[in-house]
Amino acid sequence: MILAYGLLIIAGIVLLYLAFKTGDRRYIYLAVAFYVIFPVLITLNLPAEISPEVRQLYEAVDSLPDSSVVLLTFDYYPSTLAETEPMSRAALHHLFRKNCRIFTMTTIPLGGPSIAERVTRELAGQYGKVYGVDYVNLGYKANYVAVLKGMGSSIESIYPADNTGTSLDKLPIMKDIRNYGDVDFIFAVSDNSIIDYWMSIVNAQYGIKIGTGVTAVMAPRYYAYLSSGQMTGMLGGMKGAADYEKLVGKPALAAKGMAAQSLVHLFIILSVIAGNLIFFIEKRSRRREGHR
Amino acid sequence: MKTTVPIIIAFCSGFIMIITFFLNPERGFIGRLEPEVLNWVTIVGGFTLLLGVVSIVRINYGAIKRKSENRGYKLATLIAVFAMAIPAMLPTGMSPLLGTQPGSIYDWLFNNLDAPMMSTMFAMLAFYIASAAFRAFRARNTEATLLLTTAVLVMLWRIPMGEIFLNSIHHSLPGMINTYVMSGANMAVQRGIIIGAALGAAAMSLRILLGIERTYMGK
Amino acid sequence: MSLVDFLQTWIIAFFTLSLFSFLYKDNPFYKFAEHIFAGLSAGYYVGLIWHSVIIQQMVDPMLQDGRWWLIFPGILGAMMFSRFSKNYGWVSRLSLAFVMGNTAGIFLLSELHGKVLPQIQSTMLSVDLKQPIGDLVLSIIIIAGVITTLIFFYFSKEHKGLLGGAARVGIWFIMISFGAHFGYTVMARISLLIGQVQFLINDWIGGTLQALL
Repeated sequence: MILAYGLLIIAGIVLLYLAFKTGDRRYIYLAVAFYVIFPVLITLNLPAEISPEVRQLYEAVDSLPDSSVVLLTFDYYPSTLAETEPMSRAALHHLFRKNCRIFTMTTIPLGGPSIAERVTRELAGQYGKVYGVDYVNLGYKANYVAVLKGMGSSIESIYPADNTGTSLDKLPIMKDIRNYGDVDFIFAVSDNSIIDYWMSIVNAQYGIKIGTGVTAVMAPRYYAYLSSGQMTGMLGGMKGAADYEKLVGKPALAAKGMAAQSLVHLFIILSVIAGNLIFFIEKRSRRREGHR
Repeated sequence: MKTTVPIIIAFCSGFIMIITFFLNPERGFIGRLEPEVLNWVTIVGGFTLLLGVVSIVRINYGAIKRKSENRGYKLATLIAVFAMAIPAMLPTGMSPLLGTQPGSIYDWLFNNLDAPMMSTMFAMLAFYIASAAFRAFRARNTEATLLLTTAVLVMLWRIPMGEIFLNSIHHSLPGMINTYVMSGANMAVQRGIIIGAALGAAAMSLRILLGIERTYMGK
Repeated sequence: MSLVDFLQTWIIAFFTLSLFSFLYKDNPFYKFAEHIFAGLSAGYYVGLIWHSVIIQQMVDPMLQDGRWWLIFPGILGAMMFSRFSKNYGWVSRLSLAFVMGNTAGIFLLSELHGKVLPQIQSTMLSVDLKQPIGDLVLSIIIIAGVITTLIFFYFSKEHKGLLGGAARVGIWFIMISFGAHFGYTVMARISLLIGQVQFLINDWIGGTLQALL
């Protein structure tokens, strides 16, 4: 396997050289394709340390009493499923295992309700959970600012029925649940800046603990909320999803993807260094010609 | 009249939300008004999403009617719109293939065509970022060097192989990157940006409520 | 693998590879897949809004619970479509004003109460002279970073002298943050590609081989 990975690295260097010589970026695309396909074919399990913010989220969820009421959001588009779906799955494993009553909802019109329906029903089946008793999919309502604000007064005022059209007052899970005051924890999985509004509208006014799973693009922004204590833990990108899967004891797609992630990162670092070396060499030779 | 009435509506709509921020929704008429107003807003917001659909249908239909180039593709777009929309709007009682529940045509088209294609569109960005890293990211000055150095460190820190490499240099290096880079410098900048943007948003909100800002109304 | 699953997987793979073919060069397969994608996305909204808004939020409450007044937000929403008319386009301003005013009212307080105050509070309370030296250095970095970043984005006064120096330090902090963002963005993009490749190899090729053998 070391020989195979070694050959792969040499292939990457050759392709970088060809890209520089010919100016054709498709050699770089080919190299990226190799570095992603190869580890998917030949899996390499690499040890990794769990990030402190992931552990914080895990411990916050783990410390919830059994049968707590948790709001799990599917605030992401299908475009980021590779990063966010593993987070939702690991969260559902964790929450179902603790017999939490789960409300799922989404503020994303394009695909959110369908993704929530598919993922929760699949995992609920594994734990023998009953729809309407152990979990419910509230679905989507437009204008997320109004939705987040409105659920603070009354969930039924915003969601008179669940995603399938069943009136909420007919569902046993809704007994004693009226608004945020009856929710114990919010697990918001998102690929956009809706997290800012969960913090500013929901956490600030109602004081509920909110843990988040966000894509790697969004993660650096939310360290500010982690530090101020507004956010209780964060899963950042595929690494965060892989760490959480490991803690929950269900390593899946995210954990398997880390080998490919590692190789491509190394290739990109090599590209940046190679590109800059070429830049400085060309700059120096231009300067020398200028002196002549 | 065409400008004054909307300004008054905007003010009243916003003022209700400001007052009810301080009131218990279970008591008093104004407190109970908040969930009803928010319900109305979500209903109106739903119609806003349909505007885009109407626009797409109008533009593509116009292109087909004018016999423009690539009208074949525009026809495919229109067929896709109606193939998704019409079965979804028909009552589920007529057939389990209708409506939006799992097992319907709507659900199948989304899970097997729309979602994978959307994922693929964004997956292609990986190739572009690799190409840009090689062709465009240059340490031309101090600031660019700082950016690239941090980027390389963070890229190494986030992968298992990189963590092993950083640990081999010094065992506390990964922890220091998390503490001083991510939770230190990066966090400070993001905090500054959040504060600045929030102040700007609050100022803009006040301008909208007072009718000073009218660009949302269009021409 | 059943025949339906087999066909399903091949359809997904066809459209996935059609889109990826753009990396080589633009071609009819890519154009076709792109236009189908645009149409399906638009059609999705129609089904969603029909059920979640029109039926669940308007029709059912009006008919079953007697909440007849919900016709008014429906009228307001329908007024949005007047934008397509040259003479009556101004009617949509009423609906827009209602939504924008409402959102502005929420933001005015939530942005200050939920973002500005907690973030400033956290910055001010981070310094404690009794804490270990590492934490004290970190606190000073955070305060310096927040203040210099805010100074950099303050454009009402020219960046000269002390203000200019502070703005310069702010740029350095911002570059560190952007570098971190870039590193994370690379991770994000690669993750999305890994997801698609996992499908192509495990489900499409793996599933096909399993079905054939």
